[in-house]
Amino acid sequence: MLSTREIKQRIRSITSIKQITRAMEMVAASRLKKVESRVLASRAFTEKMHSVLSHLVSSLESTHPWFAEKEQAVPVIKVILITADKGLCGAYNNNIIQKVVKFIKEKTGKEIKLTLIGKKGNLYFSKGRYASLVEKYIPESVEKLGYGHVQALAGQLIKEYERNEFGELHIFFTKFHTVMQSFSTSMRLLPIDKGAFESKEKKTRGEYIFEPSAEQIIGNLFPKFVETRLYQCILESLTSEYAARRVAMIAATDNAGEMIEELTSSYNKARQSAITKELLEVVSGAEALVR
Amino acid sequence: MAKTFKLEIIIPEKVVYSDSVQSISADGTEGSFGVLADHAPLITELKTSILTVNDANNRTIQFALDRGFLEVMANNVVVLSDACVKEGEVNVEKARAEKDAAERTLSGGGSAEEKEKAQSILGRANTWLKLANK
Repeated sequence: MLSTREIKQRIRSITSIKQITRAMEMVAASRLKKVESRVLASRAFTEKMHSVLSHLVSSLESTHPWFAEKEQAVPVIKVILITADKGLCGAYNNNIIQKVVKFIKEKTGKEIKLTLIGKKGNLYFSKGRYASLVEKYIPESVEKLGYGHVQALAGQLIKEYERNEFGELHIFFTKFHTVMQSFSTSMRLLPIDKGAFESKEKKTRGEYIFEPSAEQIIGNLFPKFVETRLYQCILESLTSEYAARRVAMIAATDNAGEMIEELTSSYNKARQSAITKELLEVVSGAEALVR
Repeated sequence: MAKTFKLEIIIPEKVVYSDSVQSISADGTEGSFGVLADHAPLITELKTSILTVNDANNRTIQFALDRGFLEVMANNVVVLSDACVKEGEVNVEKARAEKDAAERTLSGGGSAEEKEKAQSILGRANTWLKLANK
C-alpha cells in the first residue's frame, strides 16, 4: 500500500492533469462552434450547386467526359486523406487511416497515389511499407487551409485528370453528424457519379434557358463542384476533429475526477490505519509499563 | 406592392444574402439581364461584376461578385459565387493591395498561368473598388 505522502502527490498530479484536459475541452468546444457554422454554410453551397447541376445534367443530351469511367485505361487511383495535425482526439485519426489501409489492400494491381492533409496521416504513411505511395503532403495545418488553398489543389488535380494522369480520385474524410457522432467515410470525387444527379428532377428536361450552352456551363461548373466538395470535406473533417477531441477530453476529465475520488478514499483509509496503528502502539506501550 | 421572389447569394464560406426581392439585374457572360418575379427557368454564368438588387421594400442593394452562376427556378433565384461582398463591407485596403500586386505580376515577367491568375485577381479587385467608390 502506498504511503499517505505518495497518495497525496498522486492526487496533486492528477488534479493538474484534470485542469489541463478541462482546458483542452473548452478550447475544442469553442473552436468547434466556430467551424460548425462554417461547415453548415458550405453545406448550403454544395447542396445548391448539386441541385443546379442535377438540373443541368438532366437536360444534357450526350454524356459529358466528366462522367466517363476511365479506370480501365488509366489504372492509377489518387487518394486524398484528411487527418488531424494533433492527437488526443480519440480514435479519430486511427479510424480514417485504417479505412485507407483497407482500401489500399483491396485495390491490388492498381497504382495508388496518396495526397495527405494533416500531420498525423503523414506520420503514419511517410514511414514503413506504404511510404512509396505517398505522392504529396500538404504541410499547411488543416485549420488554416482556406478556400484559396483548396482551389489551387483542386485546380491542379483537375488538370492532371484531364491529362489522364490518373483514372479515379477518392477522398477519405470524416463526416460530421453531431458532436457525439461522426463517420469516417470515403467518396469518389472523379469521375463524377452520374447516378447522383439523375432521376430526381427528370421533368425539367428542356425547360431551361441556358446562357451560354448547357455543355459550356457544365464544363465550367464541374471543376467548381469538385473544388467545393473538396473544401467541404476538409471542413467536415475539421469539425469532426474538434468534436472528437472535445468528447475525448470530457472523458479524460471525468476519468481524472473518478481517479481523484478513488485516491482520496484510499488516502483517508491509509491515514486512518496509520492513526489506528499509532494508537495501538501507544496503548500497548503504556500497558507494558504498567506491568 | 410588386410581386417578389426569393433570392439567395451563397459563397463557399457563408450565405451572403437570403431574402425576398422585387428585381435583380446582373452581368452575364452573354450580356446584362434583369430578373423579375415569374421569370422562366434559366441557368447562366455571371461575370466578375456588380449585381444590383431591389429588395421587397424597394431599397437598392449592390453586391460585387467574383464570377458565378445564377439559376432561376420557380421564383427561386440562387447565385453561387467564389466571393461576394455587400456594398459598404468592402475592405478597400485589401482590394488596393491585391490590385497593386496583380498589376506588378502582369507587368513583370511570369508564366502565362501566373498572369492569367493575376488578371482574374485584378478584375476582382477592380470590381470591389468600383463598389466601394460608388
